[in-house]
Amino acid sequence: MEKTVGGTSELMRRAIFNEDAARQPGLLQHLDPRTKIVTLFGLLVVAAFITQIPMLLAMYAGTLALAVASRLSISFFVKRVWLFIPIFTLVIVLPAAFSFVTPGRVVVPLWTWNGHAAGLTAQGLQSAGLIVCRVTVSISLVVLLTFSTRWMDLLAGLRALRLPSILVLIVGMAYRYLFLLLNSVTDMYLARRARSVGNERKDTAGGRRFVAASAGALFGKASALSEEVHQAMVARGYSGDPRTLRAFRLRTADGLFALGAAATTVLVIGGGRLLGE
Amino acid sequence: MANEFVFEGEELRYSYLERFPALDGVSFQVSVGERVAVLGANGSGKSTLLKILDGLAFPDSGTFRAFGQVVTEDLLEDEGFAKGFRSRVGFIFQNSDAQVFSPTVREEVAFGPLQMGWEREEVRSRIDDVLAMLDISGLADRAPYQLSGGEKKRVAIASVLVMNPEVLLFDEPTAALDPRTQQWLVELIAELGRTGKTIVMATHDLGVLELIADRCLVFSEEHRVAATGPPGEILAARDLLLAVNLTHGHRHEHDELAHAHEHDIRHHEEYES
Repeated sequence: MEKTVGGTSELMRRAIFNEDAARQPGLLQHLDPRTKIVTLFGLLVVAAFITQIPMLLAMYAGTLALAVASRLSISFFVKRVWLFIPIFTLVIVLPAAFSFVTPGRVVVPLWTWNGHAAGLTAQGLQSAGLIVCRVTVSISLVVLLTFSTRWMDLLAGLRALRLPSILVLIVGMAYRYLFLLLNSVTDMYLARRARSVGNERKDTAGGRRFVAASAGALFGKASALSEEVHQAMVARGYSGDPRTLRAFRLRTADGLFALGAAATTVLVIGGGRLLGE
Repeated sequence: MANEFVFEGEELRYSYLERFPALDGVSFQVSVGERVAVLGANGSGKSTLLKILDGLAFPDSGTFRAFGQVVTEDLLEDEGFAKGFRSRVGFIFQNSDAQVFSPTVREEVAFGPLQMGWEREEVRSRIDDVLAMLDISGLADRAPYQLSGGEKKRVAIASVLVMNPEVLLFDEPTAALDPRTQQWLVELIAELGRTGKTIVMATHDLGVLELIADRCLVFSEEHRVAATGPPGEILAARDLLLAVNLTHGHRHEHDELAHAHEHDIRHHEEYES
C-alpha cells in the first residue's frame, strides 16, 4: 500500500516537474512543437539505422548539449535516460553477448563447451553495445521532446501534424484521468488499510480476491466517469471533432533548428559510411 | 409571440436499464428568467431531470419541450439545432472532475466556444474576461489535477459562463464545497438570477433556498412531483419535507432541556434568539 501511495505522489511530482521544465526559457522550449516533433522523430529514425557506435555516441553527446541549451538539469536528464536502459535492453542484450547466441571471438571466457572456450564474444559485445547506444539516443530524444514541451502543446502539435483528432483527444484525456484513477486506487487501498489489523499478505486467497475486486470496482468507476465526461463534452457542443485554442506559427529559429537536424543527419550518415569503409 | 416557457415537461417517464425508475410521470414548466430549485432525496430523479433538460437523456415516454420545441434525440443530431441549443443551455455537473477534462484551465474554458466555431481571438478575449470575473485568472495555465475542489468548481462554472447561456442548470452546486466557496457560489447564483438568467438547480441545501430560488419543485421518493411553490411556503410545510425525506426527526438538548422535533437549521437560530 505504501508503495502505491508513494508511486502516486511520485507520478504527480514528475508531471509537475515536467511542466516546470517545459516553461524554462531554453533553446527547445522556444521552438514550435511541430518542429520539435518532426526533427526529433527524424533523428530517432536516423539513430535506428546507424550501425557505428562512435556515431551513436556523437549523437548522444548532441542530446546532452541540447539538454544543457534547454536548461534541463543534466543529472536529472542522464538519470531519466539511464533508468530505462536496464528495463528495455537488458533482456535482449544479455543473451546476445554470449557465444551461444552470437558466435565469434571469445574475449571473456566463462566456461568450456566440447573443449572450446565459451562466454562473451567480441561480436556479441559489439551488437550489445550497438543496441544500448541506440536505445540511449532514442530515449534521450524522446525525453528532450517531452521535457521541453508542455503536454498540451505536444498534443496540439500532434493534431497540427494531422494525427487523427480523436486519437489526440483520447491520449490527452487518458493522461488527465490517469491522475484521478490513481487517486481512486490509493483511496481504495487506504480504505482497506483503515479496516485491517496487522500486516496483510497479498498472496492469500483473500488478498487476491481484494486485488481482483479492486480492479473490477476501478473498471466500473472508470466506465461511469467516461460516460459522465462524454456527457459534459456533449453539453458544451462536442460533436466528434475537438478544436484546440493553440494556433502555431513557424519562426526563423524553427527553420534553423530543422536545418541543424538535417545537417546532423548528413554528418552522422556520412561519418558512419567513412567509418564503415 | 415569444414563448413564455423555457422548458415544459408533460408526464415524463424515465428508467435506467428499463428496471430502475428515475422519473414517473413528471410534469412541470419553467418560465423565462425564473429560478427553480429541484428538491428531493438522493435517488429521487433530480439529476435525471437536469440531464433531460440539457438534452443528454431522453424520456421513455412523455413530451419535453425547450424554447417551445419538442426535443428529441433525432432533433439534437441536427447540427444547427444542437449548436443553438448548446449555446443557450449550460450545465454545471455535480462532479467537477467529469466536467474539467482538458489539459489546462484555459483549454477547458475554451472548449465550448471552440466547438461552437467561435474565432480563436474572440475565444481568448472571452476566456480572460470570464476568468477575471470568477477571480481565477491566476489558474489559467494550471492543470486540473493541480486544483482544489473549490477551484475546480469555479473552472467548471467558467467553462459554461464563457458561452453566456440564457439557461443555467446546476446539479447539487454547493455539495462537497467548503463554507466560503459555498457562500461565493450562492452569491454568484443570486447575481446570475438578477441578470435575467433562467436557473434550474438540483439541491438538498434548504438553508439557501430563499436566496437562490423563486420556486421549488419537490420530488418524492416515488420519483413524482410532490409539490411546487415558493421557497417560504415549501419550507413551512414540515410534513411535506418529512414525507419526501428532506428533513428528519431527531432528539437533542439545549442546555438542560431535551426535546424531539424534525431537523431544521432555523430551529436553532430561533431558539438562540
